Amino acid sequence: MIAATFALLLSLPLLVWVAAMFDRIGAGRGRVVMAPLQNGAALLLRPNTETEAPDQLNRLLAPGWYLALALVGLSVVPFAPGVVASDIATGLVLWGACEALTVVVVFLHGWSPNSPLPLIGAYRYVAIGLPAMLLSMFVLIGAALPAQSLSVAEVVEAQRDLWNVVRQPLGLPLFMALGLAITLRGPFDFAEGAELAGGASAEESGPALAAWRFARAAMLVAFSAMAATAFLGGYLGPVLPGPAWLLLKTLAVMAAAVAAGRFFARMPPARMLTFLWVVLLPLSFANLALVGVEALP
Amino acid sequence: MIQIAMPVVLAMLAIAFTTAIQRIARTDATWPRRAPFLGGGLPETHAWQRFHVRYYPMALLFIAFEMEMMFMYPWAVVYVETGVKALAEMGMFLGILSIGILYGWREGVFRWQ
Amino acid sequence: MSWLSTLAHDAEIAVFAAVGQHGLGLTETLGRQRGVRLVSSPRHARVLLVAGEVESAQARALERLHAQIPPPRGTVWWQAPRLFERGETVIGDDPGEAIRRAAGADDPEQRPDVPPHPWRGMGPHGQGGHGMMGGNPYGRPMAMTADDIRDGLTLDAYSARFGPFLPALPPGLVLDLTMQGDVIVSAAAASPPYPQGPEGDAPTLCAARMLRLMGIGPRAAHARGALMALPKGSGMRRRLAAWLRGETVTESPAPPPNALPGREWAEAVLWLASFPPSRLRAVCPEEAA
Repeated sequence: MIAATFALLLSLPLLVWVAAMFDRIGAGRGRVVMAPLQNGAALLLRPNTETEAPDQLNRLLAPGWYLALALVGLSVVPFAPGVVASDIATGLVLWGACEALTVVVVFLHGWSPNSPLPLIGAYRYVAIGLPAMLLSMFVLIGAALPAQSLSVAEVVEAQRDLWNVVRQPLGLPLFMALGLAITLRGPFDFAEGAELAGGASAEESGPALAAWRFARAAMLVAFSAMAATAFLGGYLGPVLPGPAWLLLKTLAVMAAAVAAGRFFARMPPARMLTFLWVVLLPLSFANLALVGVEALP
Repeated sequence: MIQIAMPVVLAMLAIAFTTAIQRIARTDATWPRRAPFLGGGLPETHAWQRFHVRYYPMALLFIAFEMEMMFMYPWAVVYVETGVKALAEMGMFLGILSIGILYGWREGVFRWQ
Repeated sequence: MSWLSTLAHDAEIAVFAAVGQHGLGLTETLGRQRGVRLVSSPRHARVLLVAGEVESAQARALERLHAQIPPPRGTVWWQAPRLFERGETVIGDDPGEAIRRAAGADDPEQRPDVPPHPWRGMGPHGQGGHGMMGGNPYGRPMAMTADDIRDGLTLDAYSARFGPFLPALPPGLVLDLTMQGDVIVSAAAASPPYPQGPEGDAPTLCAARMLRLMGIGPRAAHARGALMALPKGSGMRRRLAAWLRGETVTESPAPPPNALPGREWAEAVLWLASFPPSRLRAVCPEEAA
């Protein structure tokens, strides 16, 4: 367990780097490998920004909480049979808590600078974040049904015969919607969208901005690892060792999330709210019903 | 015990890391620099306000579903051994809530009020 | 921290573009510039690039923007006369070299270091005012309640001047908005958008600007999904579709002070972007604010 934690802490910065590379490829920019590091270093050398009467403590802690939620969420993912950083029987519940608290953290990030564009971003993100989170939990419950357990390790073991992505074809696409929402990406980026000129992060500069972007990329890694585990069989796979399979699947989900973020257009928030409740949420009910019928002995 | 301790340790590590990073730089500011970014314009008041949240009916509906989530966790564990009965129970539960969504939709709950 | 500086040496230069008259076409060419990255907030930038002439009436807005770039900061005037004595002027089509030089500059602030309103030492505890909501805590008053146009709940109204260099709005457009939440309650156009010439109305550029607000690049629009994302009934779909087909849009909008109240921020911004800059300019009054 300690070894798994060290592996997690060592691999996360590298995967964050890879996520930044994917983002550059998605944006069609060159110097894919070095530019994320160089730009990050340049940000670290710039000063932070103080606004008129900000909420100092929440402003300082918001990136930290975001990264903490990503790390804790990632820690319930098993790297190989029996190798997991947080070995708890209710891993899916812990992951769900991390999702839910992400909404709070993004809100605090936008609220704390006391500035209008971040504030609007914060409030409308809550409107979209709440139903997106609901959606993901219905889908994850679907993944837990065949395993008869809320333990992530059991969810993987239940996929030995058939991966959930085949057994529950609606699951992964619906879960991707949550991934886009908690990593503030593309069609679900209601906190930091271009129409708010950077939104929740518009007043951040220097290391504070670097920390926030690092945490956001870490959340993408955590989400991708969770999606790979719940729907693509996690560490299961022939020939290669388990962690290698998990890594490959995580990278694949990460690439898909970045591509989806660049492909789908963002709706105005009220329209997205209706779409989430009236289309995506009923779809997740349908998914659960199908999974339920399929899982019966 | 250590199972529960690990997430706490990880969270503390994350906070320490990002706090240390943000301490690299100085944070000093003049008044013009502190003004909120509006593309060159200025606000009349502070941004913090009794914000007019436009989605409060949705938030109420959300609570109903959130409570339902709590029942789903134990339900998922015992589902296979309970069998068709569990399916029917949750189907009824979700069915009633779905009617709630339809009613809310008709009433314009998902629009910005 | 020398290794950090070494690593940062080859970083891209973050540039905030304040677009002036005939500057939209210029700014679009910046995407092809290597080693330069356009950012959407001056807080993220190292260099302020003024692309196209800015009237002296808006010099103060430009100075505010300049002050919001964290120090050290640099300035480049690209095909624009200087409005304050900092930075380099570029006449040609390629500001690359000047931007790189500006990335080593350290301009002092142009605005005096005083709070928006005096507040220190005022009120019984020096907090800037009397009572819960009065006075100017930290230099500004607090928002106060006002009637709303949608659900009638009396909550706080937020009044501010947006623009002329807010990247989400057409460059030059200055809006005095009162908002409740993110819904615009009343609007006034203090200054019209800058003239952009024929290249400002070019269908590809107009479509790209609108799609950027929706978070996607122009290539993804071939899927036409972007049209579905727009709300029905306000003509935005029709105009974007025309631009995507390569047709020029000649519709004129209703004047923003009439059309904006009642719209949500995201919708209002998209609506403004769905008209060619010249048409929008024609319906905004020319009088100075």
